[in-house]
Amino acid sequence: MIRLESLSYRYAETPTTVLRQISLTIPKGQLVGVVGPSGAGKTTLAQVMSGFIPHVFGGEVTGAVTVAGRSVRNTPLPLLVSDIGLVSQNPFNQLSGAKFSVAEELAFGLENLGVPRGEMVSRVDETLRRLRIAHLAERSPYQLSGGQQQLVAIGSMMVMRPGVLVLDEPTSQLDPAGSGLVFDALGELRERGVTVVLIEHKLEQLAEVADRILALVDGELRMDGPPSTVLAADELADWGIGRTRFTAAAVAAATHWPCGRPLPVTLAEAAAGFAEGAP
Amino acid sequence: MTQDFYRPGTSLIHRWNPVTTLSLSLTLVVTAFASQALWLPAALLVFVVFPAALVSGVFRRLLAWLARFLLPVILLLFVIQGLYHQDGPLLDLGPVGVHLDGVLFATRTALRLLVLTGAFLLLLFTTHPGELMTALVAHGMPPKISYLVSATMQIVPAFRQRAHSILDAQRARGLRTAAGPIGRVRALVPLVGPLVLGALSEVDERAVAMEARAFGATTRRTSYTVIADSAAQRVSRWSMLVITIAVIVLSATGVIR
Repeated sequence: MIRLESLSYRYAETPTTVLRQISLTIPKGQLVGVVGPSGAGKTTLAQVMSGFIPHVFGGEVTGAVTVAGRSVRNTPLPLLVSDIGLVSQNPFNQLSGAKFSVAEELAFGLENLGVPRGEMVSRVDETLRRLRIAHLAERSPYQLSGGQQQLVAIGSMMVMRPGVLVLDEPTSQLDPAGSGLVFDALGELRERGVTVVLIEHKLEQLAEVADRILALVDGELRMDGPPSTVLAADELADWGIGRTRFTAAAVAAATHWPCGRPLPVTLAEAAAGFAEGAP
Repeated sequence: MTQDFYRPGTSLIHRWNPVTTLSLSLTLVVTAFASQALWLPAALLVFVVFPAALVSGVFRRLLAWLARFLLPVILLLFVIQGLYHQDGPLLDLGPVGVHLDGVLFATRTALRLLVLTGAFLLLLFTTHPGELMTALVAHGMPPKISYLVSATMQIVPAFRQRAHSILDAQRARGLRTAAGPIGRVRALVPLVGPLVLGALSEVDERAVAMEARAFGATTRRTSYTVIADSAAQRVSRWSMLVITIAVIVLSATGVIR
């Protein structure tokens, strides 16, 4: 579970408050999407939730952050990372540099945690299979494409089986098939009771998989609710977040959209609505 | 970098524990430099380095690399030491003379350089750098040192690739990069800024990624890769140490000359 109480944050030696008075609770096993325009504070929020703020980046934090029952501020980082995983935007920077094959790269975190070899091999094999990158197992991580590196970076966190997984635009370099794999894998993690926080611009796929959406604008939590409510909100376009193609189609085809039916955010909702509104 | 040297193989030396191959290379180098005797580095080259290269199937590559690295250096050595030594000339060629001491010194140095380079090329050709690091950590080397070496080997080529991308992007926007040394130096100026500043700005992200994977944990580390070892190899490593010490002592006491 993640709990933020009146959280505000300012980077060291800067006047601007990046996160302002954010309060929310994410129960165990929930998959929460975070949307927002560039500069909204999404990456900072991910770093706060995973403990890298204030442990690595410093700055001024007010309010409280509790993850898996531990106060992030008062728990040493090595202890936190066994419970919380963070996947950041740039896969190149997430490679350890110390390993010469993808399989070894996946095992790097497990080696550091002292996981017995038998279990390590089984977890690495499972992760390779789940992300469909088993054919890359012996390749050097530095000789992969950006998308393949992104899958390896995600796998390197999944393999550690954290209770909470925070992902910052993990599919930015992936093609639709690769993105689909990641979203499916995250859905499976949620089924296993892992709490997932997913910062993502791919609203349509987020709508399919998320239990809840947080809309972050200028460091403030402007909306918090189910995807069907948040992603269909008119304000999203004004905030620069955009809409799903299905919502946009329903808005554009206003006369064919049944009055009183909520705007769709998924393909299924759009198909049902247009079927009902058809003459 | 070094992983470019390595070629997988099934020879006896390829199958050795990397620490054994490293021990062999160090033994060769130390013994070659321990003695003033000419015959010792020559014998090491002919009876150890070359046969080992033949057995592991890298002999032709070894010769090619030795020629590429050392031939100009060795030629220069003979010219400088042979022709311009202080002692009386062995062979008078008019304005210059060939000096025996100089020729001997050049021969000894050339043989030592051949053993040194040959021994380490043999190691690089037959040993995967990742396996070497894993084996060294298993033998007590601190994992952070292993990380420094491995990361340097991997990230330097990756940055070289990035430098090419930056240059390509700049060329696409009209930057002219002429061939030749001056052209290359000029091309460095617009390259250094984005490359160095980019690398510095990524330091935080890299630190976060490493911490996220428990690099700072104090638990006893385990290893995914298992490197085979055997009693015979352990005995051979100790034997190499004994031989090295013996050669140093015998050379210092004048027994080996």
